[in-house]
Amino acid sequence: MSALLSVQGLTVSTGGKTLVSDLSFSIGAGERMGLIGESGSGKSMTAMAVTGLLPGNISVSGSIILDCQEVVGADDRHLNRLRGVATAVVFQEPLTALDPLMKIGKQIAEPVRRRLAREQGRAMRLAVDREVLDLLDKVALPQPERIANAYPHEVSGGQRQRVAIAMALACRPKLLIADEPTTALDVTTQAEILRLLDGLVRETGMALLFISHDLPVVAQVVERVMVLRDGIALEEGAVADVFGNPSHDYTQTLVDAARVFDEALGRTGS
Amino acid sequence: MTALDLSADRPARKHSLALSIGLALVGLNVAVAILTLFWTPYDPLNASGGRLEAPSLLHWVGTDRLGRDYLTQIMIGARTALIVGTGAVAIGASIGVTLGILAAFATRLLDDVMAATLDILIAFPTLLLAMLVVAASDSASLWSAILALGLAISAIVARLTRILAKRVLRQDYIIASRTSGTSWPGVVVRHVLPNIWPTLSVNFALQFGLAVIAEASLSYLGLGAPPPNASWGRLLQEAQGTVYTAPVGAIAPGIALVALVIGMNLLADGLRDVGDPTRGRSR
Repeated sequence: MSALLSVQGLTVSTGGKTLVSDLSFSIGAGERMGLIGESGSGKSMTAMAVTGLLPGNISVSGSIILDCQEVVGADDRHLNRLRGVATAVVFQEPLTALDPLMKIGKQIAEPVRRRLAREQGRAMRLAVDREVLDLLDKVALPQPERIANAYPHEVSGGQRQRVAIAMALACRPKLLIADEPTTALDVTTQAEILRLLDGLVRETGMALLFISHDLPVVAQVVERVMVLRDGIALEEGAVADVFGNPSHDYTQTLVDAARVFDEALGRTGS
Repeated sequence: MTALDLSADRPARKHSLALSIGLALVGLNVAVAILTLFWTPYDPLNASGGRLEAPSLLHWVGTDRLGRDYLTQIMIGARTALIVGTGAVAIGASIGVTLGILAAFATRLLDDVMAATLDILIAFPTLLLAMLVVAASDSASLWSAILALGLAISAIVARLTRILAKRVLRQDYIIASRTSGTSWPGVVVRHVLPNIWPTLSVNFALQFGLAVIAEASLSYLGLGAPPPNASWGRLLQEAQGTVYTAPVGAIAPGIALVALVIGMNLLADGLRDVGDPTRGRSR
């Protein structure tokens, strides 16, 4: 079977500056892969290129085959049918990823309605509402009815990120792209969200593209990892291989930095 | 299973004093305007008393130099003012919001051209534009005045919409919505319009007040509603000659005009607070 996502020779550039150069990787159905690198290394650019949502002034070349369809150069109407069915994205900043003037339940209802309409030909309001509450329950939000009737500013940051995950799940995508989903959260909430994501990905069998600059976080949720620097892939392999026995100096620096940080944490006893 | 009411209205918020006063002033105006459709104290076109009578129990605001009841004419003037304000804002809003949204989506070059055109239009004096439109049409009529003011408002609304929409379109939730498969028209209806509405509605209310003043100015200059339709501007102009002998004729339409415009501005202020659910939380 061919891969769910296959990226070949992806190059992203804008105004003569190359943001991602000649990147190739693939993700099979149900596989979990991590993209790791510092800010500006082209991680998020790669993710946006996969969804075909890069702004018009950024040029993309190469090939991105998502769910057997070419994304690069495809027109918007074509891509709209692909988005939500093949992929969904969870963003870094949970506050700005939700419409501040729309109730949470309503925001989740929209992708649900579209999916039900696609699958069953019509979407009954009652079925949509039930599904919305189910989703809120699935991402372990307390009192789903209350949350559904609340505005984003009325719930906490961790809860907002759970809502964002519920929105992504509402599409039942084959590939979930998580773009630094825990970076804006505090450490305890981070751990909870990671556990939640991990459980949901295993349970639903969807593939995961996890983007982060945080080694320990990536190591927790993915099987395979690719290290990016300045838009160039340095190395790729199983998590244990790459982090246990880095073949590139840069990866070694990242691993060392994470280890030093862990030791420092250990010394302070937290 | 609990049915979930996702479309329920927001809980009632504490209304500000500005909103209450604004609603009262505008509401009074609307009520009077509707009343004149069925009943007026006297016939607005024919004399019902002596010339330039002082206010009395029979004629609360007195009569004009032809012996017509002033109160009746001011009441009908309220109707004219509302028609002009509503019509101009409706025209301005529909053209302006459409253009503004289009500009927000346009390519860089087209967007720059539109922005520059709008700036030139806005720089052009509204009254002059209105006078040109009225002069170009066959006869001075209420509708040419409304059209002219609507066009002037549309430039202002378009520029505001463009800026607001651009800001909203940069937000993460737009990308989030797009990644879940929402089309651009869907994004505009579901996210862009609701998010720019609080600011737009305030602007509409302000433009309403300005349109009412502009129409009064046009009528004062003889370019607004032709004589059978009473307009506050024309009442002011007619009372000008007799302002020392019968000052009430100039004061009364002035007060009505100011009351409606202030009411609209207060309403705009109050609307801004009501339109935004994130307002009122501690920051």
